[in-house]
Amino acid sequence: MKAITANRLLDGEVVFWKGGQWVERFGEAELFDTDEPVEAAVATGKGQPTVVVDVYPIDLIESEGRWAPLSYRERIRALGPTNEPTHGKQAEGGDVVEALRHAAGAARSTGRVDLIRRK
Amino acid sequence: MPKLIELADGEARWADDAFVHVADEDAIPDAGDVILSLARFEAEGDALLSSNSRRVGVRIESDQEVEVLAYDLPRIAVVALAFPKYRDGRAYTSARLLRERFGYQGQVRAVGDVLQEQAGFMVRCGFDAFEPADGATPEAWTKAARRFRHVYQRAADDRVVAFEERAS
Amino acid sequence: MYQYDVIDREFLIDRSSEFRGQVGRRLAGEITEDQFKPLRLMNGLYLQLHAYMLRIAIPYGSLNPTQTRRLAEIARDYDKGYGHFTTRQNIQFNWIKLKDAPDILDKLAEVDLHAIQTSGNCIRNTTSDPYAGATAEEIDDPRVWSEVIRQWSTLHPEFSFLPRKFKIAITASAKDRTAAKVHDIGLLLRQGRDGTHGFEVIVGGGQGRTPYVGPSIKQFLPTDRLLSYLEAVLRVYNRHGRRDNIYKARIKILVAALGAEEFARQVEEEWSKIDAARADLPAAELARIRASFAKTPFETLPARSEAFELAKAHDSAFARFVRNNVRAHKQPGYAIVEVSLKAPEQTPGDASADQLELVADLAERYSFSDLRVTHAQNLVLPHVKQDDLPTVFAALQAAGLATPNIDLISDIIACPGLDYCALANARAIPIAQDIARQFADPDRAEEVGELKIKISGCINACGHHHVAHIGILGVDKKGEEFYQLSLGGSGAEDASIGKILGPALPADKVATAVDQLVGAYLNVRADGERFLDTYRRVGLEPFKEAVYAQAD
Repeated sequence: MKAITANRLLDGEVVFWKGGQWVERFGEAELFDTDEPVEAAVATGKGQPTVVVDVYPIDLIESEGRWAPLSYRERIRALGPTNEPTHGKQAEGGDVVEALRHAAGAARSTGRVDLIRRK
Repeated sequence: MPKLIELADGEARWADDAFVHVADEDAIPDAGDVILSLARFEAEGDALLSSNSRRVGVRIESDQEVEVLAYDLPRIAVVALAFPKYRDGRAYTSARLLRERFGYQGQVRAVGDVLQEQAGFMVRCGFDAFEPADGATPEAWTKAARRFRHVYQRAADDRVVAFEERAS
Repeated sequence: MYQYDVIDREFLIDRSSEFRGQVGRRLAGEITEDQFKPLRLMNGLYLQLHAYMLRIAIPYGSLNPTQTRRLAEIARDYDKGYGHFTTRQNIQFNWIKLKDAPDILDKLAEVDLHAIQTSGNCIRNTTSDPYAGATAEEIDDPRVWSEVIRQWSTLHPEFSFLPRKFKIAITASAKDRTAAKVHDIGLLLRQGRDGTHGFEVIVGGGQGRTPYVGPSIKQFLPTDRLLSYLEAVLRVYNRHGRRDNIYKARIKILVAALGAEEFARQVEEEWSKIDAARADLPAAELARIRASFAKTPFETLPARSEAFELAKAHDSAFARFVRNNVRAHKQPGYAIVEVSLKAPEQTPGDASADQLELVADLAERYSFSDLRVTHAQNLVLPHVKQDDLPTVFAALQAAGLATPNIDLISDIIACPGLDYCALANARAIPIAQDIARQFADPDRAEEVGELKIKISGCINACGHHHVAHIGILGVDKKGEEFYQLSLGGSGAEDASIGKILGPALPADKVATAVDQLVGAYLNVRADGERFLDTYRRVGLEPFKEAVYAQAD
C-alpha cells in the first residue's frame, strides 16, 4: 500500500494527497494499492510548484489494524518530533496518532546488543 | 541569436550583438565578429586577427584559466566566461582577474546559466555584458545591480566600499 | 561590543527587501523551486521535515539583551516558543512559515541580526571564542578579527558560489573553544618573538564523511595581512576545489589531494600576486572596529569576594555550580558563568522564549549587556561580579538553566537529528536524553569528570561526533535506527578524530554502552586523567571488551 506526501510551499506543512487535494492529516490520505494511479497523482503534484514542493510516494505497513508509513522518517513527518509530543500533527491525539506512534516493523529497533558478535 | 544585455554607467540596456558564437564543429563564417572556444582561438586566432577585418572574442569554460590569454588580451574584443550552472562560481574569479590583475578593457560577457539573481555578484566582478538564461530584462538587471546601497569589499567595480564611506 | 552603524543597518534592510522580492516571485511562480532554493538557503531558510527552519547567525557568538529579547519574541510569534542553539554559534527556529520569513528578517534587521550566509556554498558565520574579552588566556580579542571577516565575507562577489560551504574559526587562547582545527580555516592567534601578532593558519580540517584535523599551512601570518591571505586561500579553492562530487567538494579534499605543502605553495603564489593595498583592510578601519570592542568598564574589585565565599561554604548546590559552571575571569572580582542548556529531559541547545528573556535580563543587569553562545550549545554570561554570583545562580536555577554539568557527561552536543532534519538517518535528541538520564546523579557525573559526548543523526556530523571523547553517529540499518560509537576524538587544541568502537548498537542499548565505557574508564584511570587521556594511554581494547564482551 502507498500514499503520496509533500510539503506545502507556503508554510512547509507536511501534506498528503487525497483525490486531487492536499490534506494535513495522514489519517485522511488516499491509499493506493496499485502503482499507476500513484504515478499519475505524483505527476499532478509535481505540476503544482506554487502549491507543494518535494512530492513523493511512501510505502505503508499495517499497524494496529490501520495503515502507517513504513519508515521511521515518514512516521515522524506524519506525527511531529518525538522530543516534543505536543508539537506538530500529533498534538491533536486520537486513534490514528496512537497507531502511528505504536507502528513497528522495519523502523522499530528490536536489536539486542548481546547478539552482536565481536569483530 | 541569444539576447544580449550590456551594462554601461550603471544602466543595463538591450544591445545588438555583433558577435556570433562559433561552435567547434562549425565553420567560421567568412565575415563578421566571432566568439571562439579557447582551443579554436589558439589554433586559428592569429590568422583571423591578422586579417584585421573583424573582432574576435574567446569563450573560456569554467575549468579553464584566463591566465592563458594574458598576452592576447589587448587584441581580444570579448572574453565570454561560461557558467555551466549558476552554482559554478569559477567565472567570478576569472572576471576579477581579467579586470584587476590583467587590466582587461574589453567586454567580459557572462554566458551559460546566467540568472538575474546573480547579477549583483557578476557586475561587481567586472562583467559588463550578459546573455540571460532566465528571460530577464535590462530593467531587472539594473535593479539587481543596484540593490545594495553599500558593499563591504573591493572588487572589479568602482563601488565605494563601506570602510571608505566611513572614512570620508 | 561592535555597534552597527547606518551602513551595516542599511545593508541588512536591502538584504531583507531583496529576499522579500525573491519570496514574492517564488510564490507567484515566477521562479522555480530549483532556482529559489539556493536563494532561501543563502538567507538561512531550509525546508525540514515539518516546516521551514530559519538559521540566524550570531556573529562570534555575541548577543546583546535587545537581540536576545527579539529572538524570544520571534520564538513566541512565529515558532512554538523555543529556539535551538547550534554547534556553530547560530540559533535555529524549527517551525517557520515561508510567508513569514521576510517579516522575520525585517524584525531581525531592526536589532542588527540577520540570517545572511547561514547556509549555501559560501563563507559562513565565523566561529569565535565565547570567552573573548573575559579570559586571561587570550593574547588579543578574537572578536575584532571575526568582525573583520564578517564584513569582508558578506555577499562577497567572488566567493558566494564556492564548490561547497566554507567555515572559519578564530581563537586567541591556547585553550581552543572553537574547534578551529576541524574548520575549513582555523586561525590561531599567536604572539611573535618581537611581540607582534600573527595567525597560525590551519586549512582543510573538517568532519562529515571524511574527517580531518587540518594541517597548518602558515606558521605566522601578520594580522594586518589577513584578508589578502584569506582571498588567496579562497581563490585557490574556488578555482581548484572539486565540483563534480558534492562529497568531495570541501577544501579538505583539495588540501588532502594536493598535500598541505603543495596547497600552501599555491596559496603563497596567488598571495604574492594580490595587491595588498587593495585587498587588506586599511589600518583606520581596523582601528575603528577594534575601538568598538573597547575595554569593558570593569570595576576595581578585590580578588576575593566575601559574599561569594560565604555562599559557597553554606550552599552545596551553589558550590557545585561554581565548581562546574564558573570559570576564571581576567579581571579580579569577576567570573565567567556558563548557562547550561542541558538540563535533564531538555533537548540539548534548546531555550524557551521565557529562558531567553531571563538571560537577557541577567546579561543586562549583571554582565555588561553581554551574552555569548558556545559551540557546545550553551550560553555564557561573560562578566559577572563574584559578589553577584549567588543571585545569578538563584535566577538561573529557578529557570532550569543552572544544571551544574559543563563539560561533564550530561553536557551532550546533539544535532536536531531525525526529529526535525530532512538529512538525518536517526534521531539524536532522545539518545542524548537517555544518556543524561543514566548519569543524572551529579556526584557521579563529577566523579567521572570531563567527558564530551557528541551525537550526530547522520554522517554530515553537525553534532561533531568525530571530535567527541565518546562520539555517537546515528545510522539507518534497513530502516532501523542504529548508533555507531567512536572514542578518542577531540575538537579542542589537542584535536583528534575518534576511532570506531565496534558494530553499531540499537537505540535502547546506547546509554548502557556509555555506562559500560565509563565503568571501564573508572577501572583503569590514573590520577587526574580525563576519559580522553585514559583512552589515549590504554587504547580501544578495554573499552571494546566492556561493551561487546558479553557476546561470548
